[in-house]
Amino acid sequence: MSEIKKHDTPLVDQLKTGPWPSFVDDIYIYAEKYKKQTCFDIMGQLELSYKNKETHWKHGGIVGVFGYGGGVIGRYSDQQEQFPAVWAFHTVRVHQPGGKWYHTSYLKKLCDLWDHRGSGIVNFHGSTGDIILLGTVTEQLEYIFFDLTHQLKQDLGGSGSNLRTPSSCMGKSRCQWSCIDTMAIEYELSMEFQDEIHRPSFPYKFKIKVSGCPIDCVAAIARADLSIIGTWVDDIRIDQEAVRAYVGGELKPGGNSHSDRDWGPFDIKKEVIELCPTQCMYWDENEKKLYINNKECNRCMHCMAVMPEALWPGTDTGATILMGSKAPILEGAQLSSVIVPFMRMEPPYDELKEVTRKAWDFWMEVGKNRERLGELIQRIGLNRFITEVLGLPAVPQHIREPRSNPYVFWKEEEVPGGWTRDAAEFRKRHPA
Amino acid sequence: MEEKVVMPDPIYSEPYDPTLAEKLYNPAKPMENRITDIGPPHYSQFLPPIIQKNYGKWKSHLILQAGVMKYTSETGDVVYVVRCGTPRLETTDYIREICEIADKYCDGYVRWTTRNNVEFHVTSEEKLKALMEDLKNRKHPNGSYKFPIGGTGAGVSNIVHTQGWIHCHTPATDASGVVKAVLDELFEYFGSQKLPAKTRLALACCLNMCGAVHCSDIAILGIHRKPPLIEDDRLEYVCEIPLVIASCPLGAIRPATVEVGGQKRKTVRINLERCMFCGNCYTMCPALPLSDGEGDGIAILVGGKISNRISPPKFSKLVIPYIPNEPPRWPTTVQWVKKILETYAKYAKKYERLGDWAERIGWERFFELCEIPFTDKCIDDYRLAYDTYRTSMHFKFTSHIEIK
Amino acid sequence: MEKEELKQKIIEVIEKKIKIAGKSKVYLKDLQKDIPGVSPRDIKNAANELVREGKLEYFSTGSTVMFGIPGVGMGLEAGTEKPKEE
Repeated sequence: MSEIKKHDTPLVDQLKTGPWPSFVDDIYIYAEKYKKQTCFDIMGQLELSYKNKETHWKHGGIVGVFGYGGGVIGRYSDQQEQFPAVWAFHTVRVHQPGGKWYHTSYLKKLCDLWDHRGSGIVNFHGSTGDIILLGTVTEQLEYIFFDLTHQLKQDLGGSGSNLRTPSSCMGKSRCQWSCIDTMAIEYELSMEFQDEIHRPSFPYKFKIKVSGCPIDCVAAIARADLSIIGTWVDDIRIDQEAVRAYVGGELKPGGNSHSDRDWGPFDIKKEVIELCPTQCMYWDENEKKLYINNKECNRCMHCMAVMPEALWPGTDTGATILMGSKAPILEGAQLSSVIVPFMRMEPPYDELKEVTRKAWDFWMEVGKNRERLGELIQRIGLNRFITEVLGLPAVPQHIREPRSNPYVFWKEEEVPGGWTRDAAEFRKRHPA
Repeated sequence: MEEKVVMPDPIYSEPYDPTLAEKLYNPAKPMENRITDIGPPHYSQFLPPIIQKNYGKWKSHLILQAGVMKYTSETGDVVYVVRCGTPRLETTDYIREICEIADKYCDGYVRWTTRNNVEFHVTSEEKLKALMEDLKNRKHPNGSYKFPIGGTGAGVSNIVHTQGWIHCHTPATDASGVVKAVLDELFEYFGSQKLPAKTRLALACCLNMCGAVHCSDIAILGIHRKPPLIEDDRLEYVCEIPLVIASCPLGAIRPATVEVGGQKRKTVRINLERCMFCGNCYTMCPALPLSDGEGDGIAILVGGKISNRISPPKFSKLVIPYIPNEPPRWPTTVQWVKKILETYAKYAKKYERLGDWAERIGWERFFELCEIPFTDKCIDDYRLAYDTYRTSMHFKFTSHIEIK
Repeated sequence: MEKEELKQKIIEVIEKKIKIAGKSKVYLKDLQKDIPGVSPRDIKNAANELVREGKLEYFSTGSTVMFGIPGVGMGLEAGTEKPKEE
């Protein structure tokens, strides 16, 4: 092995100080310890970017390992003379286990693998949820994949026009609000759709995220083409004793979420009743009792978040299925729209799989290249997507408000007598 | 009924064999010994026994202090969680240090949140105390905390972010460096709960937004302001022109033939009015670089949210259209983020998210209070722009209006 | 259409594009356009099978994936040159 070449990085070095964990210190310590040229070169190239405020990476067409159309992002340096150790610096996306729970035996083995076959630099985790192994060369890709599958029983995640790695919140594993078994749903869908994760199937990317409740910790409503969000249809559970304890000041509101500022004593009227978006709650001062008109509740969960020891979602649970959210490229940002207001979530989740496949089939057939599902729904109209494509009834829950224009695309069969008219008959009534 | 605890697959305790793959993979027969389509390891084996036992039985949570939570089960079991910020970009040795902590205090179990925090679980108060003490004392050589505790309740979240100059080919700014600079400055808000509500920060290094930041309380977004440079003399040798044309989502690229040094060269031309700076053409063709030190920079968007709590989820809105890149510490960006955060903290009501506050007081007042100069760039002229125009008499006479 | 016939047709479409348009890689959508009457699902399954057989290869555009014939046109590492070992 040739001599290790270090680079001066005065700009990057300024990120070593300050209280927030310094990735620069971390990478340099690692580089020194293992005498890793890749790490010195990546810092050198970053310094160059800091100097001229431009990236020095190029894209490559590599997508994965043999037979896979995703999971690897090809990356090449445009500074191959100066930083030869990062001339190729590919990313490997590794499908994270559900809820991002780990045992150290798994993590340590993954670290050993990555020290041996890559830069030793990782992301925990990428934006979509995968473990990201950052920086390796083309020659190592197959060996990395063999190591992952044989020694870690671990598969790659998705990229390109594949199904992207699904992700979920921690759900029932540690959260009292989760209305559905998010990790089980995510695992089941991931296994059902392995082919779609690994091989290109669609006009563009497709993301699935599962959140246990409307608080939506994985941002399913903003970041997934298919958003599965837990909800309930029965009454909010109330422990009146605990409500009184909040009112009396024995329990801290918000589970003590506002601990470091004096907001005054807890005022249930101001902090809960008046902030309820549907005004469906009533605190009886004399009875010392909280009433909820559950029929009018829109399940925003503010009351539960303020009084977590006193209120819980109902027990008759399922999910709302929404579709179509995406970042702004190309037609502008979209949030997911309600498609199925309520669906039971029992394994093997056949109804969910069916509605997903129906949406896919239509998108694969009619979607344009690089058109996300949300954009397609806009193009053809949500009404048509719901009724004609998915075969579901239109309900007011699909909209925030009715349209303000009258330009309904009536179909011929909806109008008595159809569209073929007899000109002679018409002229009998209206002489020209 | 006492259910059996699922243990981690014993294969993970076997040492990594660096020679195995070479024995198994045969380039001449790529399908030989190949295992495919196995998905992720099943999550159940990675759940701590206390989590397995109380799965679906959790009753409530209490934040003991910023970053430290106590979960109580209906079985009476209790688990304490310590949440620590991580930089997301890290080395295997940093992960090993997390493992060392998890082995020492948590029987080897650990989890990450969706916002790049790591969480340690313990079942007794003594262990909790020892764990917190240990975490506080772990520092990098130049003094930064390795595992700052926080990220809960009414504080700022860890910043979810993208790759930036460390790994992306179309970024308009760095990611990890900007995040470090911003969180150094907002450090006290990560480790405390003194804001009116949770404030989620996010960064995406170009408008492709692989870290979708469009629904964050404060979003830092890299933007390009110059279309790709066209290297006419090189393009036909390194790019397939029909593919370059097909790569543009707006159909703004057409083929062209130009003369370079007396020689005819096949190249492309870009309809500059249509270019959205997505970089797809650079992805397909290295002779169309997009990056530009002077043109690139940062935009700030605020007021988005994803939770349905009180108000529905909403998009972030553009309030500062451009700030130049200022590595290594991006002082202007950092100052604006802090200014917006602290103005919000000063004026918003308890539980009011940044966007809800701005809507209540009116965006004109938001600009005034935050002292952000308003320009025509904040008036939408993209699709469905009309939705954002003022079509009522309901507005306030802020300093923007000169009354003569 | 039988699967083998469909696979043959896919190769033909791509070869034709190389010859006529000088375009060595196609999207699934391009294949669909040129092979009407076949379900997109069957086309993607057939194209992916061709990759497994080594007759086609994937090419990443970053956010999407294209299909090409191995060794034809712009390669996976076009525009990048591995530095010489010292």
